[in-house]
Amino acid sequence: MSLVTVKDLSYVYSPGTPYAKTAIHDVNLSFDKGEIIGVIGHTGSGKSTLIQHLNGLIRPTSGQVLLDGRDIWAEPKKIRQVRFRVGLVFQYPEYQLFAETAYKDIAFGPVNMGLPEDEVDRRVRRTAQMVGVTDEMLEKSPFDLSGGEKRRVAIAGVMAMEPEALILDEPTAGLDPAGRDMILSRVREYREQTGAAVLIVSHSMEDMARIAEKILVMNEGRVFRFGSVEEVYSQPEELAAIGLNVPQVTRIFMGLRQNGLPVPGGVYTVERAKEVLLPLLSKGGGAHA
Amino acid sequence: MENIIEVKNISFAYCEDEQNKTSILQDFSLNIEKGSFTAILGHNGSGKSTLAKLLNGLNKPDSGQVLIEGADSADPAHELEARRKVGMVFQNPDNQLVATIVEEDVAFGPENLGFPPAEIRRRVDEALKAVRMYEYRTHAPHKLSGGQKQRIAIAGIIAMEPACIVLDEPTAMLDPRGRAEVMETVRRLNREKGVTIVLITHYMDEAAAADRVVVMDTGKIVLDGPPKEVFSQAETVKRAGLDLPQPTELAYELKKAGIDLPDGIISTEECVAALTGALREE
Repeated sequence: MSLVTVKDLSYVYSPGTPYAKTAIHDVNLSFDKGEIIGVIGHTGSGKSTLIQHLNGLIRPTSGQVLLDGRDIWAEPKKIRQVRFRVGLVFQYPEYQLFAETAYKDIAFGPVNMGLPEDEVDRRVRRTAQMVGVTDEMLEKSPFDLSGGEKRRVAIAGVMAMEPEALILDEPTAGLDPAGRDMILSRVREYREQTGAAVLIVSHSMEDMARIAEKILVMNEGRVFRFGSVEEVYSQPEELAAIGLNVPQVTRIFMGLRQNGLPVPGGVYTVERAKEVLLPLLSKGGGAHA
Repeated sequence: MENIIEVKNISFAYCEDEQNKTSILQDFSLNIEKGSFTAILGHNGSGKSTLAKLLNGLNKPDSGQVLIEGADSADPAHELEARRKVGMVFQNPDNQLVATIVEEDVAFGPENLGFPPAEIRRRVDEALKAVRMYEYRTHAPHKLSGGQKQRIAIAGIIAMEPACIVLDEPTAMLDPRGRAEVMETVRRLNREKGVTIVLITHYMDEAAAADRVVVMDTGKIVLDGPPKEVFSQAETVKRAGLDLPQPTELAYELKKAGIDLPDGIISTEECVAALTGALREE
């Protein structure tokens, strides 16, 4: 059984009014623990609405969200339990920090879960360490931290609940390359240590090629594609038709093939491109090697 | 070429109190040529946003001068003129729109400058046409997409007919379509209307489209030149905490492994051409 299954999910904003708008049409998908899934799509494609269904922030107009095979809305009063198991990090989460210290902010979730004090402390310190928040930073007011540090504190606050599915809505928006790499590697670390499922909403096809194993492409409220990076990225024309671009390095390989050169497909990162090209470029040219 | 902005030996520090000062820029100089398109790159905390706010007098230097068309921006007599000549566009479009109707929002600047109604009308219409949002003039800004909102913010600046626009990460919160719209608008204003552009960005592909790239690190300029020259200095760019455009990075990695490729590859097309040549030789 999959960890999360979305079954025939539709969602209508302002139903029964002249402003009624279907944001999600008949979405079906499932994912398991240990998977890293990149969620891609334009503004208005329904991706944010979809992820807010996964931890019960939005209740489906029709259809179901199953967690371990059980409808999360079977007992609406227990929806809080679902939110502890499916953790959601919003866009620009640093604007949601509120406590006096970074420590108290990260502890907020675990305290609400009713965990004993020593367990709360263990979790706060463990996740702080995982995201690179030092003991000194833990004692500071969140407002005295830099933007990148604040964001890591906010992400740690959700990780500290040790959710089985961690969902992040554009976690690297507005960060510089070093900040972006830091966040993505910490998220991967969380998956390694806990075996959780991770969903990352992103506009960067390049970043998702590096971190994700599967890609969910949303378009106009529907699942446009859901499959391995290979399955999704090998159809660049399809993606271009809905205004998404495969990574530049993939376009370079498309150009080489158009020029009649026998280079393989399936190249989505610079590292992979280098591995593929080196033997081709140096096979006759011993002089360079 | 004439300089529209001259930053002369400025120092700038943020002060928490008398004892705690965080120095951002020291003895920093930079000239911006009239009609040019300059991209400024740097990691978070490199001083680039502080610099942006110095360019139209939102920040005042502790020492040194920022001259805008020759006039000192810190001089109270020139302060308003400096803001009119150098317009700013920020990251978050939602924080920059003030009115409930698009054309009223764009009119905010010229109204405050005290122009007669007919002149305001002319400027608003022209500005909205320049960013290709004229047909949305009676819409509510909050119902527009991020890219459209950012173009309205740019129109609000254009309506003041500035000589220069400084954009501080204008596409950081936009999706790929919104990014493309804003970048296309900025490039067109530069080419067709001759507006000087200073673009602060984390996106290397945006910087690659500029005439000149300035890389900042800890308050200093570490690289300054045309994109091809700057991105050829791969080691320095990486040391400054930045990415290379993917075609440049691939060429750099292959060259490091001993493959003979030309310098100055920044676009996909250039990379395809160079690799096609190299592969055919084998």
